[in-house]
Amino acid sequence: MTAPFPAASLAPEAQHPIILALPKGRILAECAPLLERGGVRPATDYADEDSRRLRFPTNDPALDVVRVRPFDVATFVAFGAAHIGICGADVLMEFDYPEIYAPLDLGIGQCRVSVAEPAATVGSDDPSTWSRVRVATKYPNIARRHYAARGVQAEIVHLNGAMELAPGLGLSRLIVDLVQTGSTLLANGLQETEVIAHVTSRLIVNRTALKTQPEAIGAWIARFRAAQLASEAI
Amino acid sequence: MTDDTPPNTALLPSGLRDLLPPEAEVEAAAIAALMETFSAHGYQRVKPPLIEFEDGLLAGSGAAMTDQTFRVMDPDTHRMMGLRADMTPQVARIAATRLTGSPRPLRLSYAGQCLRVRGSQIAPDRQVAQAGIELLGVDGPAADAEIVLVGAEALAGVGMDRVSFDLTLPQLAPTLLDEAGIIGAARLALVRALDRKDAAAVAEYGGPLAGLLTDLLLVAGSARPALDMLDAARLPPLSAALCARLHQTVQAILDQAPNLRLTVDPIEFRGFRYHTGVCVTVFAPGRHEELGRGGRYLSGDGEPATGLTLYPDAMLRALPPAAIRPRVFLPWKTSSNQSAALRKAGYATIPALQNGLDPTSEAARLGCTHVLRDDTAVLLTTES
Repeated sequence: MTAPFPAASLAPEAQHPIILALPKGRILAECAPLLERGGVRPATDYADEDSRRLRFPTNDPALDVVRVRPFDVATFVAFGAAHIGICGADVLMEFDYPEIYAPLDLGIGQCRVSVAEPAATVGSDDPSTWSRVRVATKYPNIARRHYAARGVQAEIVHLNGAMELAPGLGLSRLIVDLVQTGSTLLANGLQETEVIAHVTSRLIVNRTALKTQPEAIGAWIARFRAAQLASEAI
Repeated sequence: MTDDTPPNTALLPSGLRDLLPPEAEVEAAAIAALMETFSAHGYQRVKPPLIEFEDGLLAGSGAAMTDQTFRVMDPDTHRMMGLRADMTPQVARIAATRLTGSPRPLRLSYAGQCLRVRGSQIAPDRQVAQAGIELLGVDGPAADAEIVLVGAEALAGVGMDRVSFDLTLPQLAPTLLDEAGIIGAARLALVRALDRKDAAAVAEYGGPLAGLLTDLLLVAGSARPALDMLDAARLPPLSAALCARLHQTVQAILDQAPNLRLTVDPIEFRGFRYHTGVCVTVFAPGRHEELGRGGRYLSGDGEPATGLTLYPDAMLRALPPAAIRPRVFLPWKTSSNQSAALRKAGYATIPALQNGLDPTSEAARLGCTHVLRDDTAVLLTTES
């Protein structure tokens, strides 16, 4: 027997607010104008990274905002703990949750997932001869898939930060990481050799939520679409 | 370091579990109730074996479960056998072999356990119960609708009257891509983008279809508005014919059950690898797992068929706790007539197996709801 958890189906749907998951950090600031244009005004401390609160009511009683780590936005939405979320395409590529739909490209948080290596080793051998390569990354699945597609095993060193240190200290030959301006790479003597994917943030929705509450979720997608079009027009 | 802690014998392999009282009984009762509704609608029960030869099990529509099937070698014939991961292909095999002589339309029902090689993070179960119906030999909106209506009645019969049925056309996306001549790597990327409703990727890989497909992504929703939007979309002939069939099916369902919650998602094709027509997925509001799925496929020698498989495990997680049969403790040497009468009245009887115990405290200790006192079943109260 699996330990029981509250049977949400027993309560009328209207009593449950829709939960919007937002990523902490870099993208949160870029979300603010979009939320404003969409008419979503969360409690003021939502953007305060020092606030201990994690769940915030908004001006709309049928919408609550939760603030979680960027990678966790996808997990919250995939499991249906949050109904909708804003999340980088890098996170979606990494987790590849089939339960997540990404119906809207918000165009914010532009960056790329790239391969980088020390400037000194660039061109020192022919990558097409490799059987395997050691890669430090916080995107083990993206890195593994990228190299598997060209017939190379990626030996993953899974790090959560400071990837740029890894090649210099002998931890790995390359890194696969998120690059925005490339200045961190440059400062650490690394050179971007390949772009795996260009990344923007997406509005994501839980598949079952869309199927069982099509009106409510559809209305939120439409609101964010309108807000995003208004942003582009400026 | 040595790892010398003996494994805990309670640990089961991942995705497997013991059902304890009262859940095991609730599950059995729910499956019995579903099967009763199926039977009342003329669906006759079949019972395929748990395991059969791999080449039979995975032939035809069974091929979709190849990755998910456990195999063992038959020591007798040295042929590979597969443990079923889905019962529908087995029932289709029975219809196409042993029951070819039976008149069509052929209505069959089944219930049983299936095993899968892998669970996912979100649906970790590897042993799943199935209870379902197959309607073979007829191709038409009335048959598609019957499956949904019987399924809805069966679910309502076990207390699930707020389910919603999501109707899909798994063939629509491939047909649109065929009609637009999209092939190769672009097609793979586009199919994946459609599966994830990734609007940005659909726009990137959609080529001439980008606009239409983006519209279709947004069509998903309540049945009537979605169908109106589909009717308004300019579709090539084969795709339009598929949508017309979906429209007829929705109409046939709503004619008989106007209050049934129906949604339509025309370009969804997830998990419908052997399906050829209108398909259906069952959801319960507030739950994040499917309660069942089904749809149209080709059985055996290309015979048209449709069916619906319900997942009792998921249903039980969505159901309110069931009323448990009252349990009455019988003091030492209660007459067999009296205990039979109590059972007839709906009690479970728990007789004392030795003399000299206080019936009330024994009843409480054994989790009974009642104790037999002065020839009547008395409700145990917290004070007594």
